[in-house]
Amino acid sequence: MNQIDLYVMLKDPKSKKILKWLLISGSSLLLIGIAVYFYYATRTHEDTAGLKVDYTVEAIPFIKEFEKDYKVANKKYAEKIIAVKGIVTATEPADTTMNIKMSDSTSGSYLIFAFQDQHMSEAKKLKPGDNVVIKGSCSDGIYSEILGIYFISFKRSTVENN
Amino acid sequence: MKIKMKRTILSLMIVTISMMGFAQKKTTTSATIAFDASTAIDNLPKAENKTAIAAIDPAKNTIQFEAAIKNFAFANPRIQEHFNQKGWMNSDEFPKATFNGIITNSSAVNFKKDGTYTVAVEGDLTIKGKTQKVNTAATIVVVGNTLKTSATFSVKLADFDIDGSPVSAGKVSREPKITVSAELN
Repeated sequence: MNQIDLYVMLKDPKSKKILKWLLISGSSLLLIGIAVYFYYATRTHEDTAGLKVDYTVEAIPFIKEFEKDYKVANKKYAEKIIAVKGIVTATEPADTTMNIKMSDSTSGSYLIFAFQDQHMSEAKKLKPGDNVVIKGSCSDGIYSEILGIYFISFKRSTVENN
Repeated sequence: MKIKMKRTILSLMIVTISMMGFAQKKTTTSATIAFDASTAIDNLPKAENKTAIAAIDPAKNTIQFEAAIKNFAFANPRIQEHFNQKGWMNSDEFPKATFNGIITNSSAVNFKKDGTYTVAVEGDLTIKGKTQKVNTAATIVVVGNTLKTSATFSVKLADFDIDGSPVSAGKVSREPKITVSAELN
């Protein structure tokens, strides 16, 4: 399309209307696209404290489910929000943060909870022997070749009660 | 005479126990592994895993790491989802990443003496079922019976069959930086 064609088109009221419509809908689509992109790009994980619990479990039987068949347990629990009732067996600093462990003293297998930033202070108050409910996103349970035991990891955890 | 003998036995026991402490394999279940694949046009692809397992065996000069892929935590939920999908890490099929290495210049570190040592580490890094050789410098800090270690290196995503349009579009770095740190007891 050369300049003359464009000039003629702009003079024609019908073509002018189509052009106007194309311009408005194009701009709208562009704005929607930008909004969707920014929504997804700036979105962060919700506070785990406010999330619905998929399963509430006791620490030791939960560990035993993974020891029995970790593939079956992973299908059931991976990426689910789980509230775990149990006794803290260790607190472990990881950089500036704190991980909490609940271990099965007979097998050595353990649950390990990494905490959401806004709930880190709750984790730092816990000590071995504390009876707690920790809620978090269960990543999965896998067998450690290094330790020869199963470990089940949680991310974005929060203390439900202490 | 008896007292002198008792003292000698006691001293020998203390030395033996101390030596056993140094020679024992040091482990942690709270090592941190971070990777940064961000680029000039996308700051999102970076994550941390703070529940990795690490072990250093001073007697064998070995260094090992093991991390659950699904426990890499991203700030952005969508990136977290993509990271674990089949096209990327395929974490259902390949749930962990491992590193089995050895300190190649073992004379550079004295595990029995407090200090900061720079060592050369060579080993096998396995991600998504693919194993590649990695050579890197690492720092080991000896404080009593505790070892602190850290290292930073890069990997090529293509070496582990990780590719996709975000890589070719420049949104994910082709050579992410990996940082590991651990305090082992």
